[in-house]
Amino acid sequence: MAIPIIPSLLRDNLEALAADDQRLDGRSRFAGRELEIEVGCLANAEGSCRVRMGDTIVFAGVKFQIMTPYPDRPTQGGLMTSAEIRPVCGPNWEPGPPSEASIEMGRVVDRGIRESGCIDTSELCILPGEKAWQVILDLFAISDDGNMFDAFALAAIAALRTATVPAERFDVGEDYKLPVAGTPIMCSYQKVGGRFVFDATKREELGGDERIHITLGNEGHVHSLQKGLRGVFTADEFNEIMDAAQSRCAELRDIVHNLEESQ
Amino acid sequence: MDENGIREDGRKADEMRPVEIECGVVPVADGSAYIKWGKNEAIAAVYGPMECHPRKVQRQDRAILDVRYNMAPFSTTDRIRPGFNRRSREISKVTRDALESVVDLELYPRSKVRVEIEIICAEAGTRCCGITAASVALADAGIPMSDMVVSVAAGKCNGIVLMDLNKPEDNYGEADLPMGILPMTDELVFLQMDGDLSMDEFKIAWDYNIKAAHDVHKIMIEALQKRYGGDV
Repeated sequence: MAIPIIPSLLRDNLEALAADDQRLDGRSRFAGRELEIEVGCLANAEGSCRVRMGDTIVFAGVKFQIMTPYPDRPTQGGLMTSAEIRPVCGPNWEPGPPSEASIEMGRVVDRGIRESGCIDTSELCILPGEKAWQVILDLFAISDDGNMFDAFALAAIAALRTATVPAERFDVGEDYKLPVAGTPIMCSYQKVGGRFVFDATKREELGGDERIHITLGNEGHVHSLQKGLRGVFTADEFNEIMDAAQSRCAELRDIVHNLEESQ
Repeated sequence: MDENGIREDGRKADEMRPVEIECGVVPVADGSAYIKWGKNEAIAAVYGPMECHPRKVQRQDRAILDVRYNMAPFSTTDRIRPGFNRRSREISKVTRDALESVVDLELYPRSKVRVEIEIICAEAGTRCCGITAASVALADAGIPMSDMVVSVAAGKCNGIVLMDLNKPEDNYGEADLPMGILPMTDELVFLQMDGDLSMDEFKIAWDYNIKAAHDVHKIMIEALQKRYGGDV
């Protein structure tokens, strides 16, 4: 990713706004942008989701392959996540091999899902020691206006929860719905003008400091945390965003569940 | 854990593995440190500040840290294929993010400071090991910093929150919470977590980490005092 030039005017502006508890787009600190989620939107993917948060637009696609189980885990399939951020999605994204920013995104989203245990890899076994399903989750962005982490994580879990295992196409039985036992949700907070805000836009990211990603499971348990970028924060600041994340994650989880029912 | 609350390797729940640190182990480096943390062994070396190459990554307003975390091929039971992988690139990045939070980079515009972390023997907890060693190496190199980062991790195994998981505890464990703490203020510059922790367990793990960080900090200070004498 190219190094963005950060106008000091932007930082000053963000600091002045923060002093009055304001944001560039008029939102309150912990308010998210307008959210659109659509599942089953890509005909050739076995599970898919498009998420739009303000001007950030991402897709998640689920595909399946048959793998040979690892010798030490003969009855388990696998889950693989990768994030691909093409130059299409913004002026600072450049072509080339995966950047560390995209590797971090893929790995943080993957950890939230994997560590919540919502995908039981032993349910992916077809023939012990010989055949198992590998679930491949591809994250693909087409417009980056900030907070791609949350957009990816939301698209990922919605795509998985609505995915169909294509057993007929591979000649190993009848198609069935991929079992997904929980709905881990990520909420991300960025330090802007000296305090954490939820769902930062690209301009807030550019003129901001460190960010923290929190993934919570159905019971409010913590499944993944990640701090990124340069910055220092206190335990009090962390506790405040953790409380905010607890309620926001529950809301987003309901949105995903309602989406499934209406499908 | 047995009925007396003692772990398989003889430690109590909130007890760290033994930590030893030595400065100046890479003679040609501007700063360096060796750390032995249980069976983990890591070497960190610092070079610079120096001219920033490639120009593309140069910053006009400050220096950058060029951090590389690498595991030697012989550092684990199964040989590791040499070279960067996704895991080592992510750890390099979060280590850089942690260290850049304390180094006074604005003193050196358009330059870089190289931080090389080599894990030569791995037992679980290598990223904490690497960040802590790198902090000591930066101090040894005389790079101005607001504080040293102490990185430690608490985890959970068999439903019990434990400080500083060793390899078997990590393999069979249910959670890991590595943190990077500034001991002078108890602020954080590094935070990751994976697994499953309830909010109560999370708070216990957090408090274990803060306490342990202060213990490791003393060892870091002693290592620097041993090399330079006096109060650090």
